[in-house]
Order: sequence, then structure tokens, then C-alpha cells
Amino acid sequence: MPLRAINSGLSPALPTAPPASGGVTARLTEEAALIPLRSERLRLDMLCEEGALLAQGAPVARMRDHPEVALVAPMAARLARVRLGPGRQLIELLFFHEPEAGRHVFEVAAARHGDAAAIRVLMQQAGLWRLLRSRPFGRMPAVAESPAAIFVMAADTRPHAPDPVAMLEGRGESFSRGLAALGRLTGGPVFLCQPRGPALAGPGAVEGRLRILRCGNRHPQGLAGFRIHHEHPATPEAPVWELHAEDVADLGALLETGSLPGLRSVSVTGEALTETRLLRCQPGANLRGLCQGAVVPGWHQVLSGSALDGHEATWLGLRDRQVTVQDSHRGSPRSHWFSNALRRAARPLPVIPTAALEQAFGTALPAMALIRALSSGDDESFTRLGGLSLLEEDLALADYVTGATPRLSALLRAALDRIAAEEGL
Amino acid sequence: MIRGLWDRETVALLLLICLMPLALVWLWFGGPEAWTRLALALVISGAWHLVFMLARAQPPSFAGAITALAVAMLAPEELGLARLILGISFGSVMAELVFGGWGRNVINPATATLAFLGFGFPAAPWPELVLPLAWAAIPAAVLGVTLGLMPGRVIGGALLAALVSWGVGQGTWPAGLAPVLPMAFIVLVLLVCDPVTSASTLPGRWLYGLLYGGLVVLFATGWQGAAPAQIAVSAALFASLAAPMLDEAAISLWRARRRKHLG
Repeated sequence: MPLRAINSGLSPALPTAPPASGGVTARLTEEAALIPLRSERLRLDMLCEEGALLAQGAPVARMRDHPEVALVAPMAARLARVRLGPGRQLIELLFFHEPEAGRHVFEVAAARHGDAAAIRVLMQQAGLWRLLRSRPFGRMPAVAESPAAIFVMAADTRPHAPDPVAMLEGRGESFSRGLAALGRLTGGPVFLCQPRGPALAGPGAVEGRLRILRCGNRHPQGLAGFRIHHEHPATPEAPVWELHAEDVADLGALLETGSLPGLRSVSVTGEALTETRLLRCQPGANLRGLCQGAVVPGWHQVLSGSALDGHEATWLGLRDRQVTVQDSHRGSPRSHWFSNALRRAARPLPVIPTAALEQAFGTALPAMALIRALSSGDDESFTRLGGLSLLEEDLALADYVTGATPRLSALLRAALDRIAAEEGL
Repeated sequence: MIRGLWDRETVALLLLICLMPLALVWLWFGGPEAWTRLALALVISGAWHLVFMLARAQPPSFAGAITALAVAMLAPEELGLARLILGISFGSVMAELVFGGWGRNVINPATATLAFLGFGFPAAPWPELVLPLAWAAIPAAVLGVTLGLMPGRVIGGALLAALVSWGVGQGTWPAGLAPVLPMAFIVLVLLVCDPVTSASTLPGRWLYGLLYGGLVVLFATGWQGAAPAQIAVSAALFASLAAPMLDEAAISLWRARRRKHLG
């Protein structure tokens, strides 16, 4: 990688509280929930009733459109409430913690021997399939989809993100086992994106198809989008998958022991906290539970995700490993009728090309050309510039830097949706 | 939602601050006459921004002040009030405001104004700027490039073009170029390095700077009887008209290299 590329990017200095003493602590919240992703339509067939006692990892529901894929209980729990919308669309499955319910054991004998079909079925049954993200479009991959490449993200440069390398400490065995299993799902290369330093996996981990990519410390170098854009662009015919390194280690542990570890490393940061926490909690944890006892009094917002790309939420998002607690500024203290009228009537202000914008794209592509293609709805130029490899989170830094309205990530999502509709997907 | 720094008005204000060394030195040497010209240009440019705000809900921009400064410094002298008003109005409205304001324009409004005045009233003499102004342009350029507002590659490309012409002449400037250089540098900082209308891709910026420098050399050696300001402004105009094409070429090149790299 050229020197300019490895030094590119920005380190936005976002405020956070001083770290708590005691390092990483495990903390299961009393409540957890399974929720759909934003703008995801998830139709379910329930496998158990409200009030059922479920072991951690036990199947709770199946996807109506892909019956092979199960949703599993995030912890040993009682299924407290099932909220489905019209067409049995998932709104929320709420669980209460019941430690005595134990852990669900999966049948892993075939998958352990490296049978690709068995690994696929196991991942679909154990709820790991939903964690995979397929580009372009950023959806869960189709049940039989075979990717052209897989990117394993052991780097995360979002501000205050937990360190993926620290998550893998002591789990090297599980990680290489998971990596080997993942490699069975593709005939193409497996890319491991990691910070500079010793390699996290040997070259023989995936039958010689493993390629290690080093990422610098600045955002957005640790995002999958720009790495995929540079190394193996995603197209509708040749999708590229992405999975977090901790989930890969979970897959390895599942193959080893037959049950899911069920803990995820999460950092709880932000200016409205008295201490910054590093926790291990269940998927779908209650965010208030995670920041309990550390919040400064007053109005605040709890985001699932980083301050750049997070969304206000009650439950930890499917792929999020960060919780951000911000001061919220409710209502603007000073507003004048004239400036309000002007803001309503005016077209949004354009983005001015600066060095900051160039760095927000990691100098990976012609930023202004992409922004112009996005804001004029020119999907052909957008595709030509390699936009299909990107997702909302990749443009979150550019949104932050330029304060663009409408947000570039929203424009990107609209363009991706249009292209997906045109492809008939 | 948290917001970063680099929205349009911050960029415009910072750009204005970057140009302050140039502006202050010019006002220091220009005296009351310079002050009146600047005030006049500011009033006309501001009035048009106000008109477009009231008629088309286009928020006014500090970029109007940058335009006013550049026009006040570089506009031909002895034009008279009416022609100056006409010129500035033409530039601000036709080159910037009708496109939707600063950031959506394709050529710099100050360049448009100056070209309009220069070609429309050829009898009016172009201004001669004192040499300290060229020195003052250096801190302006350094500030602009350090803050990432002015594309450093454009300045690099222009200097490279000058260097090549110097090398071709075996260590001497081509005939007629030396007196043009200070003005060419001032125009480079004031007009050519405008972030909006310069090329936006990295190789495109090198080409854009090279093109500006090349045109200055060409006009200086081949255009008999032209004033330095006229040469520099014409070169800036033609270069900015070519900028989108240079960007397009750079993107095609980038895609070709990418195809090769990805196999």
C-alpha cells in the first residue's frame, strides 16, 4: 500500500469521559431484544410462545422468506414479549434474563470436518448468518449465495471503537478455526484487515487464500467499504461478504464446543458519561442497562453505534459494538422567523471540496465526482466510480466533516435502493 | 446529530482570512482610492446576494466578499462607476448566483467580471500592482494550502510550468515573462486556487495548474502589448473553462489504472 494511502484519513477528536478502572467487564443486562435493522423488513414464523424458557442460542423464530435462517435467543432467557406488525413483520422480541435456562447445544459434527454445506447450515441455524453483510446493498446474504471474496474486519477506526485485536486475545485458536470454516464458503480470497503489528493468522489458515491487509489508525481506513473498494470491488454478480473478527472467533468457538459464546465486546463512550466503559454483553442488550450508573444528569441521547454513524436506539444494533451517549440539545435556544423561513425555502448548501473532504474519503476515490453523482442521482457515474462497494457507514465521516444536507449517507442508500430495484433484487 | 467544521460558510470565511495578508498589503499601498473601490465592490456584490436571497431564497455567502476583493484589486482602472457596477453585476449574477450560489458555479465570478470588463472595455488600462503584493501572496497561499482550502497541487503545477519554461530558456526566463510573474502569482492565489472552480481530482489539479502556468507563459511570450493582469486573468479564465475536462480525463485515467490493478 502506498505511503499516502496508509496515512490518509482523519482522527476526529470527539469528547468522551475518562476510562473506568478495571478493564473489560462482563455485564449482561436484565433485558435484551431482537430487532430488525433500520429499513429491514423481517417476516417471521415464531417457533415458541410468549413466556417460553429458552436456552442461550436456542432458535426463537425462522425467517418466513428464508426458512433456513433462524433467529436465536441472545441469552438464557424467558421470551417476555413478541411484537409483530402486519404481515408478521418483526418489531421486537423482548427477553428477560433467566440464568438457569442454560445454553443450547448445536449439532456440529459435520461442520467440524469442514463440510461447506454443513457450515452454511450451522451458521444459518445459529444466527451467525444474519451477522454477515453482503455488498453491494449491505443486506444479509441470500441462503445459497456464494461470495467472490470475504473480508474479515479485525480493524475498527471509528472514534472510540473497542480494539478488535484485544477482543481476540486468548482466542487465537477459535479465530483460526472460524477463519478456516469461513474460507470454505467461498472459492475466492479471504482478506483479513488488521492494524499494523504481528499477523493475526498464519498464511495457511485458509488453504493459502488468506490475504492480510494492514490498516492505519485514521478513520475511515478501518472500515470495510474502502478496503473492498480498493482490493475487490463488489458487484451484483460477484458479491463480497464482510464479518467482524469477533464473530469469526465466535464461529470457531461454536465449532469447537457446539454452543455460542454469546458475548460481544462493546465500548460505552460519549460526553454525557462520567466514565468510559469497555464491556462484554449479550447481542441486543439494553443500552440503558449498559450505561447505567455512569450517565451525567440532564438531557441526553443514547446511540447504538459511534457518534458518526450511530442511531438513537433502545437496544444494541445487530452489528454494533459501540454505544455513544451524547448531550442532546432539544429545541434551538435562539431562532428567528427570517432565518427559519430562509432555511425552509432554500436549497441546501453545496459541499465545497477541501482537503478535509478528500481525507474523509481516505483519498480512495474522486470524492467530489462521487458527491456530484450522488446529489444529482446519476447512478451510472456512481457505479463507475465504485460506489457499489460502499455503505452508509463509509460516508458517515464525510457527512460529519462537511455537515452536508441532505446527508450523503442517505443519498447513498437511496442510490443503492434504486440500483437494487433495477437489478430486480 | 453532531456536525464537523467544513460547511460552506466556514470554508468561505477561512478563505477570506487566508486572503487577508494580500488584502491588507493592497489597501496599505493603495490608499483611499483602494478603500473606495473595495467598498464599492462589496456593496454591489452584497446587494446582488441580498436580491437573490429575497427573490430566490438563496442564502448569502461570504464568498461574495472574496469576489469583491479580487475584482477591486484587478479590475481595469478609469472605468467609471456605471461600467464597474455593470461588470460586477454581470460577474456575480451570471457566473455565480443564477447557478444557485457559491459552490454550484462553474467559473469564478471574479474571473468572469474581470474578463467581461477587460474584453468589453479594452481602452481602460489594467492595474499595475506593486511588488510587495506578490510577496504578500506567499503567506496567503501557505495559509490556504495548510488549512486545506486551496489545492496545493494547482500551485505546484503552475510553479512546475514556470520552472519548465525557465529550464527551456537555459536558466533565463523567456522574453516577456519576467514582468508578468508577480501578477501571475497573485492571480493564481486569488482566482485560480478557488476550491470550487478548480479541478477536483488530484491528477486533475496538477494538470489544471500546469495549464494555467503554460497559458501564462504562452500569452507572455506571444501576446504583444498585453498587460500582465490581462495575461494572467485570461489564462485563469481559459484554465477554469478546461477544469471539468481535466477532471474527466483524470477520472478516466484512474479507472483505467484501477481496471489494470484489479485485473
